[in-house]
Amino acid sequence: MTMHGERVLVAMSGGVDSSVAAALLVEQGYDVVGATMKLFCHDGDLPDRPCCSLDSVNDARRVCHALGIPHYVLNLESAFGRDVVDDFVREYAEGRTPIPCVRCNTFTKFRDLVAKADTIDARWIATGHYARVVDSTLHRGLDHAKDQSYFLWGIDRRVLDRMILPVGAQTKSETRAVAHRLGLEVVAEKRESQDICFVPDGDHTKVIRQRLGPDASSLAAGPFLLSDGTVVGAHDGHARFTIGQRRGLPGGFREPMFVVGIRPADRAVVIGPRAELLGRGLTARHMNWLVDAPFVGSTVDVQVRHRAPTVSALIVRLDRDEIELALDEPVAAITPGQSLVLYDGERVLGGGVIESGKRQLPVRAA
Amino acid sequence: MPEPIYLDHAATTPVRQEVLDAMVPFYGPRFGNPSSAHRWGRDARTALDEARERVAHCLGARSDEICFTSGGTEADNIAILGAWRALSGSGRRAVVTTPIEHKAVLGAVHQAAKEGAQERFTAMRDTGAVDLSSFNDVVRNDTAIASVMWVNNEIGTIQPIDDLARHAKSVGALFHTDAVQAFGNVAIDASTVPFDVLTVSGHKIGAPKGIGAVFIRRGLVIEPLFHGGTQDRGRRPGTENVAAAVGFARAAELAVAEREAHWLQLERLRDRLEAGILARVPDAVVHGRGGPRAPHIVNVSVPGTDSESMLMALDLRGIGCSAGSACQSGSVSPSHVLSAIGVSNELASAAIRMSVGALTTEAAVDRVVEVYPALIAKVRGANAAAAAD
Repeated sequence: MTMHGERVLVAMSGGVDSSVAAALLVEQGYDVVGATMKLFCHDGDLPDRPCCSLDSVNDARRVCHALGIPHYVLNLESAFGRDVVDDFVREYAEGRTPIPCVRCNTFTKFRDLVAKADTIDARWIATGHYARVVDSTLHRGLDHAKDQSYFLWGIDRRVLDRMILPVGAQTKSETRAVAHRLGLEVVAEKRESQDICFVPDGDHTKVIRQRLGPDASSLAAGPFLLSDGTVVGAHDGHARFTIGQRRGLPGGFREPMFVVGIRPADRAVVIGPRAELLGRGLTARHMNWLVDAPFVGSTVDVQVRHRAPTVSALIVRLDRDEIELALDEPVAAITPGQSLVLYDGERVLGGGVIESGKRQLPVRAA
Repeated sequence: MPEPIYLDHAATTPVRQEVLDAMVPFYGPRFGNPSSAHRWGRDARTALDEARERVAHCLGARSDEICFTSGGTEADNIAILGAWRALSGSGRRAVVTTPIEHKAVLGAVHQAAKEGAQERFTAMRDTGAVDLSSFNDVVRNDTAIASVMWVNNEIGTIQPIDDLARHAKSVGALFHTDAVQAFGNVAIDASTVPFDVLTVSGHKIGAPKGIGAVFIRRGLVIEPLFHGGTQDRGRRPGTENVAAAVGFARAAELAVAEREAHWLQLERLRDRLEAGILARVPDAVVHGRGGPRAPHIVNVSVPGTDSESMLMALDLRGIGCSAGSACQSGSVSPSHVLSAIGVSNELASAAIRMSVGALTTEAAVDRVVEVYPALIAKVRGANAAAAAD
């Protein structure tokens, strides 16, 4: 199965997954080139970030040196700022909860980095994602506990023909074992990156303030409302909330209360009991297909949040880039801004950005 | 892959065999500390004093005017911060420099500003030369020190150091020049050019990294950066790097002796490279060609390309060049030098610096010229496709 020295550009974060990805490709006989993307700069105020910090770049460089392959640092800061960080801030302003990793995969890794691959005649592009490419279609990672296919629905379908995800067919502990076997002790036991790479210490409001200034509307005071409009308190910025959240809400109710809606127009955060959190339908936009688009009336498996279980759904409407689904069972906390990903078993069909959940079961237009 | 081609002599050079040979005894039997009173110490001290005399001779200086440093950056810092700190009580509060200096100078000037200096920059001409009337304008009787690099490290432009130094002297200001890229290329003579402080570095002329020197004109008081022993008259405490100083002295002598032949040889190679590139890529832009320049640097931009992709593509073909100023992570950002001489952002972020030197042959130049257009086409194509997406 050696690829006779075909060149592959590997996106290397300095973590164990992408390091092992590169190592496996070297073992398989590819001409491997490592690249670490520099995506943002905090002027050294975040020394311990798992991604994108100087230490991570150095770890990636050391791994490449150990593997005997070249390593480059690619500055994609301005494109990343535009495509990912600006959108992130805008989505919060619109009362949504964005997933920047999705846009990073779509625009930064599998578009901008692919362009870099073209400049060096690299036929292939590889990352350390836990997902698989099977016959030019995208499948879930074999280890469902680590599966990252949910974040990859947005990539250009044509890229699948040149994409390699070397760790997608193994578990995390297998990946660590490979790292040890290959002597990559620098990264073998490195902790997992959990947070969003450009968000300092897990506080996304800092990024919003940085980009929009201290007067950002999404960080200005507003009311807590019940769904009947009763004002039950005040909050200091709707960007601090997401659908389904319980933390930071006013108390004194008989039932546990959740955020059930965010209305940027009047900066309101709507709260309600669990029943109001359940949705039977949803619409999503910016649909992208990794296979030929399915038809209205087909039944698909859908996932509306990372790590959420899939549910069966009926496609009731499908316009060019918008979809409406009727869910077979109620789903909690359908959140605008999160991704809707459609599956057929293990295979990713496509996805989009959730526009809204619906409490009533949608019906197919006649 | 064919033999790799090193085209980055402005970044660093290999240590010359003669230099290495001169150094070896000091890593062996002649290991003494020059401050020791015994025979080992005396031996090392003699070697160090000789090295100092030889470097002084190469610069038209006296040996007490030469202070060995860890390299160009330390020397620039001693020059600017040392002078500023020594003068800060004098009422002269301005520190003047150009926007195309090496980061070592810009950083030191910035530090002086943090300590109360008034930071002032000269205007630049688009040829890469300092605008003389602007220099005369900003260097006044309130100026503590003015610092202008002799040869620019990115585009090779030579500044009229004699004129600049004379003007600075005429208004009572100190004048420093970073001559790191000039040494071995242009004649440096402290006995005829009235600079007060001058910086040179070893590893650009075939000495090892980690050794440089600062010329401090006799009588000038400079506040030391380090505090400790009395080495080098207290200007630079710390046990001297004897082996490196000896190596540096040897490299300096060779550089001065070979300077004219070296210039002609590099100029021929540089012109061949430049002509070859311009013939094959007619819209390539070579920066800093409008005025006098050192013979070792070609800084070229091609519209529609970017430095980062070009460096990567060249490296993967075995050709080592550089671009702009590399940041700590190794990523590339557009050059402050090119921006300062009015190069558009698009061209500045496409710039590649190729620098010829001891390792460069005609055959190597020809191979670069042959490979280059295909790499340009590839990067252009990929960038155009990405922009169209």
